[in-house]
Amino acid sequence: MKSKLKYLTKQSFKKKVNTKWFKAVNIILLVLFLFLANIDRIISLFGGDFQEEETILLKDESNVTDLLETTLTTLFSTYQQDRNYKVLRSEEDIQTLKENLNDQEKNIIIHLFDDEKNYLQAEVISYEEISLTTKQMIVSALQSVKEEVALQRSPLSLEEKNALMMPISIQMVTLNDQNSEENKEIVGMIAAFLFILPCFFLILMLVQMVGAEINDEKTTRSMEIIISNVSPQVHFLSKIYASTLFVVVQALLVFLYAVISFGFRMLFSGGGSLSGDMLNQVQMVLHTAQETGIVNLLLQGLPFLIILFLSSFFLYAIVAGVFASMTTSLEDFQQLQTPMMLIIMIGYYLAIMATQMEGAIFIKAVSFLPMLSFLIAPVLFLIGQLSLWELAFSSLITVIFTFIIFHFGLRIYKVGILNYSSSKLWRKMFQSLKKK
Amino acid sequence: MLKVEHVTKYYDQLKAVDDLSFEVQDGEIFGLLGVNGAGKTTTFRMIIGLLEPTSGKITLDGKPIDYHVTDQIGFLTEERSLLTKLTVKEQILYYATLKGMKEEDILKQLDKWLERFQISEYKDRKIKELSKGNQQKIQFISAVIHNPKLLILDEPFTGLDPMNVELFMKVIREFKEKGSSIIFSSHRMEHVELFCEKLVILLKGKSVLAGELQQIKKDYRKKNIHIVGDVEEKEIKNIKGVLAVEKTSQEMIVKIAEDKVIDDVFEVVKKGKHITSFRVEDPTLNEIFLSKVGEAYEK
Repeated sequence: MKSKLKYLTKQSFKKKVNTKWFKAVNIILLVLFLFLANIDRIISLFGGDFQEEETILLKDESNVTDLLETTLTTLFSTYQQDRNYKVLRSEEDIQTLKENLNDQEKNIIIHLFDDEKNYLQAEVISYEEISLTTKQMIVSALQSVKEEVALQRSPLSLEEKNALMMPISIQMVTLNDQNSEENKEIVGMIAAFLFILPCFFLILMLVQMVGAEINDEKTTRSMEIIISNVSPQVHFLSKIYASTLFVVVQALLVFLYAVISFGFRMLFSGGGSLSGDMLNQVQMVLHTAQETGIVNLLLQGLPFLIILFLSSFFLYAIVAGVFASMTTSLEDFQQLQTPMMLIIMIGYYLAIMATQMEGAIFIKAVSFLPMLSFLIAPVLFLIGQLSLWELAFSSLITVIFTFIIFHFGLRIYKVGILNYSSSKLWRKMFQSLKKK
Repeated sequence: MLKVEHVTKYYDQLKAVDDLSFEVQDGEIFGLLGVNGAGKTTTFRMIIGLLEPTSGKITLDGKPIDYHVTDQIGFLTEERSLLTKLTVKEQILYYATLKGMKEEDILKQLDKWLERFQISEYKDRKIKELSKGNQQKIQFISAVIHNPKLLILDEPFTGLDPMNVELFMKVIREFKEKGSSIIFSSHRMEHVELFCEKLVILLKGKSVLAGELQQIKKDYRKKNIHIVGDVEEKEIKNIKGVLAVEKTSQEMIVKIAEDKVIDDVFEVVKKGKHITSFRVEDPTLNEIFLSKVGEAYEK
């Protein structure tokens, strides 16, 4: 019987993987990942107004143009790499410059005046409202120049001036540095990308897959031929194993596509290092993850997380299998699976809310509930609201619950798979629970 | 040898099979007949181990039905039992592997059977692309590829043209000669008559007629007399023991209640003109079936 289980599992897995749709979907996924990882470059490739050069014209009547030009250029090249700025000094009179703005709408004029009392005055002229970022850059640069002018004019010694210009030394001390708001946001982001979203989609896929396959065999009398040769238990297990194996393989493939996509971006970024805003953010997240101890936490909890995920996958596959055995068509199964989908949705929202509602007793209690725990418990564990032992306990509850559901579900499955009528369905199923 | 002993099956309060007993010897073709809902499918399901009898016992060569025994059973269902998305080769590999065969043996046997049924070119085609008749051939191959000890054939000739019916019959007879026990079920009584040595007729789960076909026919006292020539129909109808007279374009069929009426009919026929044929025949199985089932219904 073991060899038949192995054969049925292999056959069921092959049936899912050896289809043109599986191949097509995976090619599409890879293309989409490549697209997402390089979305900023693709947008730039096609161009648009955002690429138009913005010229900042400096009309100086105060002899600080050199300083302002350097400050502005430094600021823009540091914080606005994607935008195309040019800083120029102009000798034309201010009236002509203003008139020219009608033709060159993107240009900005900074008219500087000397001020005895306030050191520096400026007039910023533009055709349209300046963007907030650009405005901030200009204000920041002018403030910096003003401070410089003030320092130059002050009677302070060079030493004093240098000390004044030095950036302030600030030492941030947080007593409970593991739970800072910033960290929580990053953890929430990591948890969403690592667990919540992938698991949500994988479970949806798993439930559909189990249901469709069992229904396919039920719609013809092939189920009778199969069950006359292998026990319902072997048949049921083969469906659970094959579908779970499939979603695990699909998850690994998705991970591989993500690696390929970022690798592709690195390869064509020149120099072989991470570059660009998106990758900087990824790098920053990874760095923070390491710094905040999430990596260590993940490693500590990994065995329990794997148990929790696998047992939850099995649990959903079992429930889907039992539902599919009870129904006589795919349409009926799709109706019956709706409550299951809603349960996953609840888990999804609670997991998202867990990072925002610190210490919520309800969410913590739900993290021990099978069918929901696999979405919530990992998040709570990563943000420090669930200890390692609590995570282990949550996994244990799911494992035990999965065994119980399999034990009783098999009784329904045995009767359900050979039942072709929907009359007195629930009565038949409840009666089957009593049969060993 | 298959032995069904006092088997009863209840679905809740409904008695689907009622104290059914029969034996199918090695190398014997056994007919299991009945109207729709008579309990045939339930009986088949119990024989292949899908259902447990409420009481009674089913054994194959003395062993109760379990997953080792079912490997020796081939079952051709009345409705399609093929996975239509698979190719012919995948389908046969799937079912035969579940019967415990090795891939290498399956492929050898498959080539042989496909050639025998003249459908070798469909080996890599999907089942759903095949005609109804060819699907039935694939279903038949999947039932016999492992050389079963017991072969259950439920309406095996569905969707087949007369040529292929002949071919199926030939193959079934070969299995009989090889010593397989065969249970045959069909609503086409002429097919059952051609094949079965023994049979049981079920009605509402109960056996209403069982035994050897020859003996059943012998015991069934009614006969049919086929007459070709000019005979006075009124005179024949007036004979005591004549149940009915039917006329076709070629002959007159006189249905009689018992053997002793033959002489009385013959006396009338002697008086007729242009008589070329006077033939006494046993009733058809169809007549016996209708009569027995009708009687049981009336009861």
